[in-house]
Amino acid sequence: MDGIELEILWSNLIGIVSEQAKALQRIAFSPVVREAGDLASGLFDARGRMVAQANTGTPGHINSLCAAGLALSKHFEGKLVPGDVVITNDPWMSAGHFFDITVLCPIFWDERLIGYIGSTIHHTDIGGYGIGAGARDVHEEGLWIPPSKLYEAGVPSALLHDIIKHNVRTPDHVFGDLAAQVSSGRSGGERLIALCKRQGIADIEALSDEIITRSEEATRRAIRALPAGTFRGESRFDVPGGTMIDLKAAVTIDNQLGEVTIDFTGSSDASPIGINVVMNYTHAYSTFALRSTLNPEQPNNFGSLAPIKVKAPEGSIVNAKYPSPLNARHVVGMFVPMPILKALHQVIPDRVLAEGSGAVWTVQVQGKRENGEAFTSSMFNYSGGMGARAAKPGPSATCYPTGVAAVPVEILEAVMPIVFDRRELRVGSGGEGRVRGGDGQIIGFHMRTSSPWLLNAVPSRLDRGPEGLDGGEEGAAGRFLVNGQPISEVRKMAMEPGDVVLLETPGGGGYGAAA
Amino acid sequence: MSYSLAIDIGGTFTDAVLRRADGALIVDKTLTTHDNLLDGFFRGVSLVMEKAGATPADVTGVVVHATTVVTNALIERKGAVTALLVTKGFRDILSIRNEHRYEMYDPQIEFADPLVPRELTFEIDERVLADGEQLRAVDEAEVAGLVDAIKAAGVSSIAICFLNSFRNAANEQAAARVLAEKLPGVSLSLSSAVAPQIREYPRASTTAVNAYTAPITEPYLQGLAAGLAKREIGHRPLIMLSSGGIIGAEVAARNPVRMIESGPAAGALAAAYFAEQLGLDRLLAFDMGGTTAKACLIENREPLVTGSFEVDRIYRFMEGSGMPLTIPSVDMIEIGAGGGSIASIDDLGLLKVGPRSAGSMPGPVCYGRGGTSPTVTDADLVLGLLDGAKFLGGDMPLDLAGASAAIEKLGSALGTTTMQTAGGIFRIVAETMAAAARTHATDRGFDYRGLPLLAFGGAGPVHACAVGELLQSASVIFPPQASVLSAFGTLVTPVRLDLVRSALGRTEAMDWADVDSILSELIAEGEDALTAAGVPADAVRLRFGADLRYVGQQNEVAVELPEDPRIAKDVAALSEAFETAYFAQYGVNPSHVPIEIVSWRVTAEGPRPEFGGVARPGHTHGAAKSARPVGLWPEAGDVPVYDRVALGVGQTIAGPVIVEERETTIVVPPGWTVVVDDIGCLIATRSA
Repeated sequence: MDGIELEILWSNLIGIVSEQAKALQRIAFSPVVREAGDLASGLFDARGRMVAQANTGTPGHINSLCAAGLALSKHFEGKLVPGDVVITNDPWMSAGHFFDITVLCPIFWDERLIGYIGSTIHHTDIGGYGIGAGARDVHEEGLWIPPSKLYEAGVPSALLHDIIKHNVRTPDHVFGDLAAQVSSGRSGGERLIALCKRQGIADIEALSDEIITRSEEATRRAIRALPAGTFRGESRFDVPGGTMIDLKAAVTIDNQLGEVTIDFTGSSDASPIGINVVMNYTHAYSTFALRSTLNPEQPNNFGSLAPIKVKAPEGSIVNAKYPSPLNARHVVGMFVPMPILKALHQVIPDRVLAEGSGAVWTVQVQGKRENGEAFTSSMFNYSGGMGARAAKPGPSATCYPTGVAAVPVEILEAVMPIVFDRRELRVGSGGEGRVRGGDGQIIGFHMRTSSPWLLNAVPSRLDRGPEGLDGGEEGAAGRFLVNGQPISEVRKMAMEPGDVVLLETPGGGGYGAAA
Repeated sequence: MSYSLAIDIGGTFTDAVLRRADGALIVDKTLTTHDNLLDGFFRGVSLVMEKAGATPADVTGVVVHATTVVTNALIERKGAVTALLVTKGFRDILSIRNEHRYEMYDPQIEFADPLVPRELTFEIDERVLADGEQLRAVDEAEVAGLVDAIKAAGVSSIAICFLNSFRNAANEQAAARVLAEKLPGVSLSLSSAVAPQIREYPRASTTAVNAYTAPITEPYLQGLAAGLAKREIGHRPLIMLSSGGIIGAEVAARNPVRMIESGPAAGALAAAYFAEQLGLDRLLAFDMGGTTAKACLIENREPLVTGSFEVDRIYRFMEGSGMPLTIPSVDMIEIGAGGGSIASIDDLGLLKVGPRSAGSMPGPVCYGRGGTSPTVTDADLVLGLLDGAKFLGGDMPLDLAGASAAIEKLGSALGTTTMQTAGGIFRIVAETMAAAARTHATDRGFDYRGLPLLAFGGAGPVHACAVGELLQSASVIFPPQASVLSAFGTLVTPVRLDLVRSALGRTEAMDWADVDSILSELIAEGEDALTAAGVPADAVRLRFGADLRYVGQQNEVAVELPEDPRIAKDVAALSEAFETAYFAQYGVNPSHVPIEIVSWRVTAEGPRPEFGGVARPGHTHGAAKSARPVGLWPEAGDVPVYDRVALGVGQTIAGPVIVEERETTIVVPPGWTVVVDDIGCLIATRSA
């Protein structure tokens, strides 16, 4: 296939899933999907290999969907008929916590299975503990949906629908988002069939071979251009409750084969609180770190991800086993790229960035309005500073590695009795250096209520700021204060009406020694 | 004879159109004069008046103007030294933005510097709460205390954006009074007046853009009025707004941010005009120029309007990389695909087209101005779609050999012949535009399949059928006067102002007294502006709308209301209108979720200008003037070439066929048939 025909077909496949992702994002009830695009949409060939992925979505879902689609297609091999739709939120099979539900729609052209459209989105609720890291095991975290048929031959599975309905707090939202996943999968399937007809091809297997082979070869080629060796990086940070977590990555470049192995041996053991990360999610953030510095312009698929192997000891915090709690896995997961980038600094110093604040800080408030009506806010979040790059400062108040937008102050004040006292840059919090790290920010708020209220805040890096690179200085550690007193608490806190909350997010690390 | 006059200043050309009372159009183009845009404006006026043999006294109709002056000031960062006043504690509102990293996979991402630097952002210890309660009033002495610093910095414009000012503007107004008194001559932009909508960052961004461009725009519009008066053209100018409205220059000068998409909005209005003429409820307007292509959906014969958009996107036209503006604007997608888009081969051995562009300087290789990268226009020339000797009526001969050599080089790397490579560029750019149009339509809940396409812009008619093929378009329409379509669009549009104000609250607890005060203010503002633009008070028509959403959602859905909602005060009807609109867009309604109103909208509109329609073509069916081979269809033999002016009403030609105009070329592939309709549109449809 020449570079013209392939470009046309390939861009059409990406177009199909990107369009479906856009539709999903717009329609979703789940705030994190709408605001942060916390979803993934992919197209799979008949063998379950991801051929195209939407060009939107968060890093945590890059590889998770690729793995989930393959696993589901194997699980149901030979057992699918037209009209079937399959589903799971198994954390180890898909994206690492129950909130993320993967839906896979087989595409039948007449009676022939020619591929699948799959999507993973973060749902509003999944029962159980709810938002936060406080559950003691995975069972407390909500409803576990094993690989199952959500639709059988076009008919909704009544039992499964009933189970979901009785096990989540906001069934309307969950079913609304599931319906969106199903309808986007079906219309994506129709688009694929229309494309095949237009191009006169019976299936996408040859096309998928070509795409996967070229992508894999291109990633290998990029790796072969690097020096061989094993390069090590470490990141140390504290999580809610004050525990220190170590992530150690040994990045081995095999420039003969064109493969990279990232090994997390030596990293901390799994935690008793719900910040543990499953292998798929670790893999996702590892491939993100590597591919975004190595060859970011190339699309994600089974082939471009294949030359990257990720290992971690079973039972470590980055390869958590049943029944470890997983709910707030982003708290640790978002640090996964940092030791890898430090290792890669020894190889491609001008393409990496220094450590940044890591996980976004999340906040949720519950209480009563003056008229006695209870309210629970959705989760809102704030970023710290990004790490400096070799030639560019780190952006301030910008999250990395994920990409979440903050909810406007005026929207929050309109929907609950909260008043913000300040939200401004924490000037000087970015690490000094030849190039400076980005600044964190300062957020202050109090509630206008005469009743006690609950605060569920998940900060990190309160003891230790992000390290600089290459002689750059550390960014400032974060601060979490109530009435001026530092707090380190994992669980929801009972608050008094007049309490004042202050969040100071960390600055990013600097790059290079300051002149 | 009586005339109306329209001038559209675009990036490359300034277009002038005189419309005679009988519908005849006299058009001309001149190069845009970037140093002083008004030079080109008046050159255009002179050219077209001369051509028509008209005198200033004959211009008794409207004078309408669409311009890039505001956009240029922003993109080139040539606005005024601007200060920003904010609520204490929120000094970094412009640099914190919404915290989002618009491109997740580029660790070298950058963000544009804010229009107002931190040192010119001043905090005022004031506070209004979400319900409008004034917690702390403005201390006038505090504001007065900033005057020296503002003066010393040479500030000529000030933006004020306090929290929740869209609910209660008193504090912004109090601060403005002090500044107006102490700093006479300094321009003031209040967020509560410029963009009274919830969400502090987009509101501050909109207000800052307004303040930054106001001191440039005001003298420009004054110069325009003075220049017209000097030439004894009696009418005060009307200005085209991004929303598709037009309004008097004085009102426009106070809100320059509303003029940003002036020209493209006018193009969309022209598309809407043709939708009306052709009896098509929906179509997709497709405008492809030198650097980018734009697409806009027309529904119910009006362009879709959005409440927010971005200006000056700095990263591959990517959402999030520009400055957000919350003002009504024609809803358009801009795609990095134009005649100047560069073709290259990527690491995977794939042929890519754009988003890098050779622009107009150096431009495509065939322009012979030093460009060396092969572009879409080069491919069009090599394929034989364009006639190098007749480009711009022969004023600008194209270098076919140069274009061929550049494409041959690309082909040797791909292992394809020159013709195959050129054909690949042609097909891939169509795919890029079709993909962008599909996503744009999907994002708005539109089924793009079967939508007629209306093609204009220099490169639009060359590529429209290829795009139409991919979008399964029912037809592709080539309107007359396609090369000056935006200027034309300003002349078929009533005087109109679109206003919006936020008032977040659940519909079930609607405060009608509050609604009454908001709507009354919006109506008064709209009526005043229309009166100032010369519309008699009794001719002002009001339209009402609202933005609603389900509680918990982030995106609003705009709903048109059949009448003033204060008459019936019917919340159930409002909710039902929302649910219907929501269903139309998303195909599903969640049950039991409460509904909230986010904003109210009022449109004040004057009468539609009387217009007998465009001049009709004759009835003589001209013959092909020549024929040439086209690389896309080697088996078709020589393809006949017609001059558009030679075609007559009812003439039907089976593709492949090429129809040439001075500024563009219409390409109709095999399997399509084109017919000339009675208003001069060429309409191509796939043959049965």
